[in-house]
Amino acid sequence: MSSLPKNKPPMTPSQSPPLSSSQSFLGSFLQTLKDIFTDKGVVLMLIIAPIIYGFFYPWPYSTEVVNHVPVGIIDKDNSNLSRTIVRYASASPQLNTQRFVNEQDAVEAIWSNQIAGYMIIPSGLEQQVLSGKAASVSVLGNGGYFILNKNVQLGFLKAVSTVSAGIEVKKNVAQGAYSPTAAKNTQAVPLQIIPLYNQTEGYGAYVVPAVSIIILQQTLLMATAMLVGTWYEQRRHMTTIRGWLGRIGALSMLSFIIGCFYYGWAFELHHYSRGQNMAGSLLFLLLFCPTVATLGCLLGLWFRQRERSLQILIFSSLPLFFISGYPWPADQLPQVLQFIRWLVPTTPAINTSVQLNQMGASIAQVAVGFYALAGLWAFYFALLLLFRWRTSQKISAL
Amino acid sequence: MRLTHLSEAFVRSAVYERRFLAKNPWDFAMVIWIPLVTVLMIWWIFSQTQITNLPIGVMDQDNSPVANTVVRYLEASPDITVRQLYHSPAAVEAAILQRDIYAVVIIPEDFSRNILSSKPAPLILQVNAQYGTHSGIIQKSVQSVASTLSAGVEIQRLVKQGMAPSQAAIAYSPISIQRISLFNATTDYQQFLASTVIPALLHILAMVIGATTIGRELRDKRIGRWYAFIDTGRPDLTALVDSKTVSALNNKQKRSDATKTSSAVKKNQQVSIAVLLFGLLGKYFWPMLAYSIWSALALWLATPQQTVALASVIVTYIGFILLMMLSFWLGAIFTLSSFSLRMGLSSTGFISAPSYAFAGVTFPYIAISDSAQHWSNALPLTHYLKLHIAQLQMQAPIAISMPIIYGLTLATIIAMGLTAVLSKRALAHPERWGAR
Repeated sequence: MSSLPKNKPPMTPSQSPPLSSSQSFLGSFLQTLKDIFTDKGVVLMLIIAPIIYGFFYPWPYSTEVVNHVPVGIIDKDNSNLSRTIVRYASASPQLNTQRFVNEQDAVEAIWSNQIAGYMIIPSGLEQQVLSGKAASVSVLGNGGYFILNKNVQLGFLKAVSTVSAGIEVKKNVAQGAYSPTAAKNTQAVPLQIIPLYNQTEGYGAYVVPAVSIIILQQTLLMATAMLVGTWYEQRRHMTTIRGWLGRIGALSMLSFIIGCFYYGWAFELHHYSRGQNMAGSLLFLLLFCPTVATLGCLLGLWFRQRERSLQILIFSSLPLFFISGYPWPADQLPQVLQFIRWLVPTTPAINTSVQLNQMGASIAQVAVGFYALAGLWAFYFALLLLFRWRTSQKISAL
Repeated sequence: MRLTHLSEAFVRSAVYERRFLAKNPWDFAMVIWIPLVTVLMIWWIFSQTQITNLPIGVMDQDNSPVANTVVRYLEASPDITVRQLYHSPAAVEAAILQRDIYAVVIIPEDFSRNILSSKPAPLILQVNAQYGTHSGIIQKSVQSVASTLSAGVEIQRLVKQGMAPSQAAIAYSPISIQRISLFNATTDYQQFLASTVIPALLHILAMVIGATTIGRELRDKRIGRWYAFIDTGRPDLTALVDSKTVSALNNKQKRSDATKTSSAVKKNQQVSIAVLLFGLLGKYFWPMLAYSIWSALALWLATPQQTVALASVIVTYIGFILLMMLSFWLGAIFTLSSFSLRMGLSSTGFISAPSYAFAGVTFPYIAISDSAQHWSNALPLTHYLKLHIAQLQMQAPIAISMPIIYGLTLATIIAMGLTAVLSKRALAHPERWGAR
């Protein structure tokens, strides 16, 4: 398979010079690039995987907005009024209605996921409305699926409110009000909602720009740790400070290019809000990529084996996403987690990237994110130096 | 006689694996610590089961008593909290961009005048729709505040016209709506997200273990020795005292080993599928045992709030364990078909890591594009989660979910057989061992 690792029996430090890799920044930079491109596994992880994910992850969300949710209607009244309600509900783009004879059938349809909810129009509804008595219909949505439930409730709410308002208007007109005034009056305080940034309120447009940063981080981490782990197996991992910077530079450069692919092309392709502050976004990548690459080097030295990074890190994307503060508000997390979460780059990175690229914040407005990333980079690099110092102590002690 | 041979293969393989796990902390962690911490951590992340107090701003351009009422109503809503009053659009924009607030309610200049003169008096909500969760909750809360205000204003107006208050309420809204959420009525995110994310994560971890457990034997060119040992008990791979002897032996044998065992295997010309199957079951015995416990823990966390019928819990648990078994075998299949642990892990990650996005829990299945629905249907997680939600949350009758159990059982048996066949193929190609 891969041409790089030759499966030599591991040499002990005494057998080979421990510092066998390039010591200068440029030498190490070039050597790293060469090692990356001669190693299928690293190329797959670092370059091919994030490009494929750029298409694969947004795939299920390509419809963006949930419409035509299948729902049931049980009309026990069978009057002019109830038929009007059914007609309005059927016309709603949010709903896709079908009739049920009784509630049992409707509940069974919910169990087997054929419908996401149903409305019951009780018998005698028209009678009650005509005689000015309190009347109501029931809307039952499947709370097991939040987005579906919201659609069921809102779709029926709009249909019934429209019919209800019509009745109110008719009564007002009957009481002598001028018709257009009466119509306007039905909502005394209407709410005008203006969605900012993600103006179509698409689901993919909400979730993918954030997940892209997770994808960038995870693929870069796994590729870096795989490369460093491979070097470790070959006892080529030791180098100078400049050597490490060269390695981080080479890895970051490739990841930076992938980042540009997301900002410049993947988001564009899927019509997400993007490029609001492009200079800021690029500056962000310039800081984010080395931070992640440095963490990857650390993990590689810890794992010490080529495949270990995949084995240990594959599962971590979802938990990291949930503690990032993006899909779930950070201040709702348990106190301890609110601190721990700052140890991973995605915590400042997801919000910073979205604020810059999707929302168009200025760099000053996301300064906290930049400081946090810089702090993390310094922290990881200090650990890397500490590790380097400790292993060289051990070797000189031999 | 035959049966004792098979059970010996199982036991030898399990003992061999126990020894390996005891000596390799990372692999041990994948079986014990990482899944345990993951289950508890995901549950902990959503321990505040509802989202409350999302910060919003108010820009009051009206400054009237009615506008103050609006602010009071907003503050009374548990989902949101009014962080600050703003006076300029620029300050509002900056606050939204810095994520100090996720929305602003603008009360326009002539708000109270419009209300007093019986004209519609709109409120404006600007909301950061990029943050979908935040935005949805804020829109719902502010909308309900606006409806409450509307009703109040309307009913007051009707009362002023001389209508009885009870009659006014009916006149305002002739048909009211009872909105009922069946199941998970409190929009509990622990039930919605944590209880479904945990199986997704255990599925990923189990697939990774599936890929590594057989994959490391391939990588280390030990799969031939492993088979010889489970089949005949020689060389005795479990009797070695410590790792030093193991590695010494490895180094000594490494060069000749692969060819020797393969020639031995070829000489006999009989890699028995049955022995392999029992050997594999022994090899995966510890992870299967451990993940049965983590599955039980996950279901135990997911059920206490409601009274779920015992039969439903049992069916869900069977489904969960089947999902775990299937995951182990699928991981093994990816590795064995590519002859490479690294490639097996890459494919495993590619397929399992985003499977939650395709499973139709957060983004509903019916809205997933048609082509992606095929992919979603091919993922075992999609089917398990359907069963999980139907049984634990919707309390559906068991019969509804039985086809999923049958499907998972069938898939598990096929995958297990395929793993054995592919292992046999791997044994026959020693020249391809050791791929990285």
